[in-house]
Amino acid sequence: MNLEADIVIVGGGMAGLVAGTIASEGGLSSIVLRKGESATSMSSGAIDVVGYLPDGTIPFESPKEGLVALASLYPFHPYSILGFGEGKPAFAEKVITGVEAAVGWLKDKLKDSVAKIVGGLDSNILSLSILGTTKPTCLIQETMVSDGFANEFDSTLLFLGVKGYPDFFASAAAKSFLEQSEIEQEGPRKVAHSTVRISPFGNTCNISASEIARHLDHDDALGELLPQIKKTVDTLGATHVALPPILGIKNARGNRQRIEEEVGAIVFELLAFPPSIPGLRLQRALEETYRKSGGQLLLGHEALSAYKEKNRYVSVQAGAPRRSIRISTKAVVSATGKFIGGGLRGAEDGLTETVFNLMTVTGNLIQADNIRPYDYTSPFAVDTGGHSIFSCGLTVDPQFRPVMPDGQPDADNLFAAGSTLAGYDYLVEKSGLGVALVSGFYAGKNAADAAKEVD
Amino acid sequence: MTKSDVVVVGGGSTGTAVARDCALRGLKTLMLERDDIASATVGTCAGMISSGLKYMDEPHIVDMCSQEVVHLNRIARHIVMKNPILTPMLELSDLSSGGSFAEEYSKRAAKREVPPVLFLTPEDSLKIEPKLNPNIIASMYFEEFFIDPFRLCMLQAIDAQRAGALIRTYCEVIDITVKDDSVDEVLFYDRVKGDIERVKTKTVVNAGGPWAPGIAKMAESNVEIRPNKGAHVILDRRVVNVGIIAKAVDGRMIYLFPHENTVLLGTTALDTWEDPDTLVASHDEIEYLLQSMEWVVPSIREARIIRTMAGVRPLVANWKVPEDKVTRGYETIDHEFEDVRGLFSFTGGKLVMCRHMAETVTDLVCEKLGVKHKCTTHEIPLPGMEADVDILAFSADYGISQHAVERLRARRGTEMTRVLELTRENPDWRTTICACEPVLEAEIRYSIREEFPQNLNDLRRRVRLGTGPCQGTFCTYKASAILMEELDLSGEGFKVDILDFLAERWKGKRQSFRREQLVQEEVTQGMYTCVANLDQSEIEYDPKPWEGSI
Ligand SMILES: Cc1cc2nc3c(=O)[nH]c(=O)nc-3n(C[C@H](O)[C@H](O)[C@H](O)COP(=O)(O)OP(=O)(O)OC[C@H]3O[C@@H](n4cnc5c(N)ncnc54)[C@H](O)[C@@H]3O)c2cc1C
Ligand SMILES: Cc1cc2nc3c(=O)[nH]c(=O)nc-3n(C[C@H](O)[C@H](O)[C@H](O)COP(=O)(O)OP(=O)(O)OC[C@H]3O[C@@H](n4cnc5c(N)ncnc54)[C@H](O)[C@@H]3O)c2cc1C
Repeated sequence: MNLEADIVIVGGGMAGLVAGTIASEGGLSSIVLRKGESATSMSSGAIDVVGYLPDGTIPFESPKEGLVALASLYPFHPYSILGFGEGKPAFAEKVITGVEAAVGWLKDKLKDSVAKIVGGLDSNILSLSILGTTKPTCLIQETMVSDGFANEFDSTLLFLGVKGYPDFFASAAAKSFLEQSEIEQEGPRKVAHSTVRISPFGNTCNISASEIARHLDHDDALGELLPQIKKTVDTLGATHVALPPILGIKNARGNRQRIEEEVGAIVFELLAFPPSIPGLRLQRALEETYRKSGGQLLLGHEALSAYKEKNRYVSVQAGAPRRSIRISTKAVVSATGKFIGGGLRGAEDGLTETVFNLMTVTGNLIQADNIRPYDYTSPFAVDTGGHSIFSCGLTVDPQFRPVMPDGQPDADNLFAAGSTLAGYDYLVEKSGLGVALVSGFYAGKNAADAAKEVD
Repeated sequence: MTKSDVVVVGGGSTGTAVARDCALRGLKTLMLERDDIASATVGTCAGMISSGLKYMDEPHIVDMCSQEVVHLNRIARHIVMKNPILTPMLELSDLSSGGSFAEEYSKRAAKREVPPVLFLTPEDSLKIEPKLNPNIIASMYFEEFFIDPFRLCMLQAIDAQRAGALIRTYCEVIDITVKDDSVDEVLFYDRVKGDIERVKTKTVVNAGGPWAPGIAKMAESNVEIRPNKGAHVILDRRVVNVGIIAKAVDGRMIYLFPHENTVLLGTTALDTWEDPDTLVASHDEIEYLLQSMEWVVPSIREARIIRTMAGVRPLVANWKVPEDKVTRGYETIDHEFEDVRGLFSFTGGKLVMCRHMAETVTDLVCEKLGVKHKCTTHEIPLPGMEADVDILAFSADYGISQHAVERLRARRGTEMTRVLELTRENPDWRTTICACEPVLEAEIRYSIREEFPQNLNDLRRRVRLGTGPCQGTFCTYKASAILMEELDLSGEGFKVDILDFLAERWKGKRQSFRREQLVQEEVTQGMYTCVANLDQSEIEYDPKPWEGSI
């Protein structure tokens, strides 16, 4: 089968869907190919911009502060790339305005969605996780807003788990959080924990987050839950209730509001591990935004290769079970993710890019085609310095075009975005979805410009 | 100060077997293990209780092993499994070397209730195992028994405990004093409490595996071993239906054994001068094993490697013979010859011989103490062997999947009913905590209450937590929370346990880090580093021996 689109975007996570939406907004037709699961839907749903320097231990008060530091210390960081170009304003300022534009755009796009986000570049939010730990992040979903329990003198924070749902142990989160806030001499006056019973579809054990969330999406499902929460809140005098993120896939915002009204406490969701409902909400909201903009999303389709004429890609070959398609195009964005997304593959004899056969590099921009992944790991499993294998990927020019060993872009009209890029370690910096957003935003704009050139 | 008839140093297969034998013969027994039960060599072995393909030229050892298999099937049938094995041959020379093995094996087959060796055509071989190289000229078929090494050690320890022995883990022997040419006191450091204790004793059994020389030295005695490194590569599932034994690139024999839910590819045998505490599999060992197995199972590299493990065999000190030709038998040393009465040490040995080794040394100990009881360890069943278990009935009765019930049975035999009973009062404890295995919350709580684990790694040895394809990615934080609840640990303890277990798993994952494991590790790091921010936690974390210094 043959299709046509001004822009083909390979990869349907944060980076690809943002790039696609931007293309639509530029008046161009586009197709997003997505072969499988994305890191985006596994994420906690909180959008990190930057929390730490690589190997740093002091969190940035604000993403702005972090962007300035990165711009001066890491000029090839995907954010810093925005600073390149002629004349004024200065490098770091350009980076900040660039990131601000992308963040403002996304907030606007998601404002009526299930994944409405709050926050901005002026301060990092210390969000609570299901382990009772905190991490600095930039934008959180509205249902995760905890309204400053940390500063209220006579607050009581209640961690509330669900019986038979093993992804969250309220007791452990409460203890871990309490000890930490005692050390830091901050936080609520009291911390408590308890469990409630929800039996989606009659289950009493092995309950999954998505079962609970789907169950709570039904109008009448809160009925079972509300009295239990109310009773616990009243007994313990809780002013704030921390729940695992299970309040609904579609209806979380409404559910949260109803619970708050009925129990008279502030209710919020914690950052969680996969399968993570807020990650799923974000993924869905991005997909919906893209579709609404007029883009075409082909799920279960894998880009297999692409054809170049002279210095431009002219078509992308994709496959799905029992289906093979060729899409003629004017520009291409590669947003295939890292190892989870499948954009990069690391074997014992080297690191390869999986669709366009692009050059891979290490975090220090040394060619990585022959590296042994072991050599790019730390002996420590969890390390503030990270494992440098996760900062390997593609290196790009200031327009986000992947560069080949000769220093030239692979093609005039191929752009790359998201975690497939090298030069940053989102795990330790806390910058994953932020880099995907920003690079997707600009790769999309540049691809649109490149496509327009063709006519 | 406490007193003991015998102090057993080391809680591997040998030490736990000795403690059990001593206790069953009525001796006042104290077993001291510096780490956890089965935390060292035995935990890295393949669990094969073999008829002795590797030591055909030592017929007395083959006899002993065959007899031990019969014993283990009598006392521990619930944790024994049988694997059919194919030995594919690519050349005529392979065939001739197989002949003498077939003869020796078949002589002892009836005793172990297995068929004699069969020679199969390539077609029949491929029917049994379609992954074999179609160019083989024939294969040998035979059957071998395997045992869960962790459960064997645990059950030996628990049985010893029930017979009155004191089993102390996390207690490191730091000195053995000798008075009037006899052992007198054992000093040990309790790593959990932080105390030094001493115990008076007339006899000491040094079952320290590769650490035996160091332990002997504490009593001014000498033990010499020839330390031999062995490594395994572990694949994520049962990629073969049967065990495969093949000739490696250097002409030695290597194997691919289905083991629990995984497959073991092993093993190397290398003289080593490394510290056993920091030892890991090397890139060369991994590639040696893969390339060798590729000849008979060409698709082996496509299988997903989840980790490696390596251990040191404390071989008998035969020198100037090739490393793979050192005897696989054992020796018991009575240190009386160097004027230290009451101290006994082992060199050599195998998992399959642990009961035999224990009987030999306990005879010597009893003689020294003037005790006349006979050995019964080959007759008295280990806990859980009381009866057969009806998986289907239990599954229906307790509302737990048949798969989970069967895995529970394979670890615990009849004792599983005590785990299942816990779910009557707490139906939500039927929840799966480790989905790879699977392990239920009830079994974790039961194990914490009954089997004295101190941390998640100890739980792994007892219930196989975190041993599957995800290597603890999804169960670590859940099990840590349960451990915290059960042992009333602090919030810091909760996080320390998470980090410790991630570190322990990483030790084995890192060496073979490639392909799908990069995907898996991105998820693990995404959870613990990116979301939970544990790389920034300020808890007191003790670097592990293999992590080196920064
Ligand atoms: C467990 C976890 C938690 C995280 N939590 C956070 C967090 O709290 N905050 C944060 O900011 N970041 C977080 N991150 C990081 C963040 O999720 C990623 O950095 C970000 O989602 C990357 O987005 P992406 O679009 O580049 O890649 P992905 O989201 O991985 O998308 C790549 C897409 O490309 C598709 N693809 C690949 N190859 C092809 C092909 N050949 N043809 C078609 N499609 C293809 C894949 O199927 C996938 O859909 C987390 C990551 C993990 C793993
Ligand atoms: C790769 C490999 C594969 C193998 N495969 C098989 C097989 O398939 N079948 C088979 O029969 N055999 C096999 N073996 C051999 C077998 O595993 C060992 O011979 C046997 O398990 C050794 O047990 P052990 O108890 O003597 O030693 P260990 O298991 O090493 O136990 C010694 C214990 O002493 C403790 N200790 C040390 N110092 C002190 C101290 N100061 N105080 C207190 N405690 C101390 C240690 O912590 C340790 O737990 C294999 C070995 C290897 C390495």
